[in-house]
Amino acid sequence: MTDNENTAAAAVMAPPRSEVGAVGWMRANLFSTWYNVLMTVTSVLVVVWFLWFGLTWAFGDAEWRVIGTLGGQFIIGQYNTVSACPGQNCFWRPQVGLLLATLVLGMAWGVAGGGTAKKVALVVAFVSAAMALIPYSFERMGMDVRILLVANIPAMYLGLAITRYTPWREVKHVAIVGVVSFLLTLFLLRGFEGLPGMQPVSVIHWGGLMLNILLAVAGIVLSLPIGIGLALGRRSQLPVVKLLCVVFIEIFRGVPLITLLFMSQVLVPLAFPENFPQNSLFRAAVVITLFSSAYMAENIRGGLQALHPGQAEAARALGLSGWQITFLISLPQAIRNVIPAIVGQFIALFKDTSLVYIIGMLDVVEIGRAFIQGNPEYLPSARELFIFLAIVFWIFTYGMSYVSRRVEDHMRVGAR
Amino acid sequence: MAQMTGLLTYQGIPVWRHAQILRWATQIISGVLAVVLVLWFFLNIGSAIQSRNIPYGFSFLDREYQTPIGHHFLPYESSDTFLYALGVAATNTIFVSIAGVVLATILGIVIGVSRLSNNWIISKLALAYVEFFRNVPLLVQLFFWFYIFLALPPERDGYIIAENLYINNAGVSFPWPTPPDLVMGLAWLALAIVGVIAAVIIYRFLLRRETMTGKASYPIVFGVVTVVGIAAVAWIILMIVAGESPFAISYPAPHGTFGRVAGGFTAPAGLLALLIGLVMYTASFIAEIVRAGITSVGRGQTEAARALGLSNLSALRHVTFPQALRVIIPPLISQFLNLTKNSSLAGAIGYSDLTNVAKTMTQTAPAVSIFILIMLSYLAMSLAYSLAGNLYNRYVRITGA
Repeated sequence: MTDNENTAAAAVMAPPRSEVGAVGWMRANLFSTWYNVLMTVTSVLVVVWFLWFGLTWAFGDAEWRVIGTLGGQFIIGQYNTVSACPGQNCFWRPQVGLLLATLVLGMAWGVAGGGTAKKVALVVAFVSAAMALIPYSFERMGMDVRILLVANIPAMYLGLAITRYTPWREVKHVAIVGVVSFLLTLFLLRGFEGLPGMQPVSVIHWGGLMLNILLAVAGIVLSLPIGIGLALGRRSQLPVVKLLCVVFIEIFRGVPLITLLFMSQVLVPLAFPENFPQNSLFRAAVVITLFSSAYMAENIRGGLQALHPGQAEAARALGLSGWQITFLISLPQAIRNVIPAIVGQFIALFKDTSLVYIIGMLDVVEIGRAFIQGNPEYLPSARELFIFLAIVFWIFTYGMSYVSRRVEDHMRVGAR
Repeated sequence: MAQMTGLLTYQGIPVWRHAQILRWATQIISGVLAVVLVLWFFLNIGSAIQSRNIPYGFSFLDREYQTPIGHHFLPYESSDTFLYALGVAATNTIFVSIAGVVLATILGIVIGVSRLSNNWIISKLALAYVEFFRNVPLLVQLFFWFYIFLALPPERDGYIIAENLYINNAGVSFPWPTPPDLVMGLAWLALAIVGVIAAVIIYRFLLRRETMTGKASYPIVFGVVTVVGIAAVAWIILMIVAGESPFAISYPAPHGTFGRVAGGFTAPAGLLALLIGLVMYTASFIAEIVRAGITSVGRGQTEAARALGLSNLSALRHVTFPQALRVIIPPLISQFLNLTKNSSLAGAIGYSDLTNVAKTMTQTAPAVSIFILIMLSYLAMSLAYSLAGNLYNRYVRITGA
């Protein structure tokens, strides 16, 4: 028997050197056929050329001065200029908003108990704090600004501590604090008449990345429930409700957002009395939210349609009411199945916030473009500017899709 | 006993829990609310229009527009009417939409297939492309390309990169076949289209014969011969009839003191930036759709095709891709619609598309009417794409299943 075992063991030889390890991997994945060899060589050459050209340009010829010149305007736009905030320094108001955001993220970390929420909170807090270290002329970015930026780290840990040492440690508490913080930020940015240090700042002066994020957060938070409502309405058995939802969804999906935004500025004011307080930013936010809701509704409807009817039937057999079936059985499963599509819509919404240029708002893209347009000597730096903006947006959107993938993995655990 | 009295005194379901009544109530309330809201909106706008002396109605369409349009494919003069100007602008949008859709589909399929390549570096490059271009706002990309064109040398320097190919900050000029006589040109085009149709019919007939009988019938060869033959014969006949060839190549060349490039075809910087931006952006979405479609076809299909002796490419072309098409087409159509709607960003880079021209028109014409016209135009384009997509979808659908 031992003889047999020995021969059997001897018969199984180790695979040839060329089939395993790095060489084997390269043979299988890079040089399997003659055209694969050709493609590999060509693409390596292209990548090397691209990297060589790109890096020598980025660190040699490129004029990144425009980024430094605009500096903080990328973040808060014209908010802290003399025309927006005459006679006082308003920089601290957006910064308190950021502190509140990191506080909420810290709470989210505490509630989630680590994982992706922890990563996001840490990244946001430490990147904000790291911005305080940017070498920048001191009169442009004072010590007070830097201190408030560094304060993001304690703010995050404060949020974490709240969930650890107080009874506020559930998801609903994070949601409440989040909504309150968002509204508080809006009030802070807007200011109050007559309060010392809180001079009102017209929304026209809100801008920069702050504006994109505010619009995106409001849109994301509101478009999901509105979208769910529209999706349910579109699947409703009540013909009138169904018709209304279909008309709403198709109108908003059929027209470009830019047309809707433009018309919201031209048409909607006519529907209100002449002395009615007009707020172009508010109208834009409503239009972006409704536009996104229409797409969201279609995504959720897809999820509902993909759900096996047996789910609802089983729930009905167990004696659940119509509302219970919808909100406890159908919707949770439908939404879980279309998370990628929903997050894709969130990303699209964030990208779409750059369209507010059409109503004259200076968001992070428009503030750069307007600067180039107004200062022709910077025209050759337009490439650098838009590459920088592309990277800024990419970091946010890629972060969103990263979080979505993690959430998806997390939800799949135990579900299937 | 108590239960008995309960049953005896049963008065029917209370109103607030009666399903039928609730249904009707919901419908009536929502319907009335919607009607009231819409009426309130439009009546208010109507009264505002009257009290503030804002023009309204559609009579402006016959007036002269009196404003130049930056770039137009159709001939246009400032003395043309609003209606015609809108048509000119819509033609620009339709051109951008169709050219963009064709190019984005080709690029998207190439990248989507590359994503699935078993060549590691190719698939990673395709992934990098998708992740970058999908995640950056189209507006930023459009500005990037546009300002690259703007940074080029000015037109008067006569910058030329190849013979008869001019590139400057106004755009790109290249040779273009132009008919000396429009009627002759159109006649030849019509005959050429007849040739293409005839070629397709012959190709399909021969292909069917080949598959049915197994006799080599060379469908591609005969198809090409048909189209080239008909086009050539038409060309020669028209040349004999008119005394000149139906199309002549027109070459761009600098003219005048300012060195403006004339002749050939000049694609303005705005149009080029718009097309490049739209194509690269949309291709990243189409690539993901194509990839999802191909992965949705079972691996066994590819393996079976390979086992039957088809090459990798043939297996993709004849087995996997036709099946993937069924999954690909519906989301692909919605990407076509997105591309068309996204082309309205043209205004940001100074190209005169439908939305941009309409936006300028609102300064001299009633905004409500223009908004309605624009909405109808985009709706018509959406319907056209949906219709084409649905027809094609029916064509690739599993029959007999």
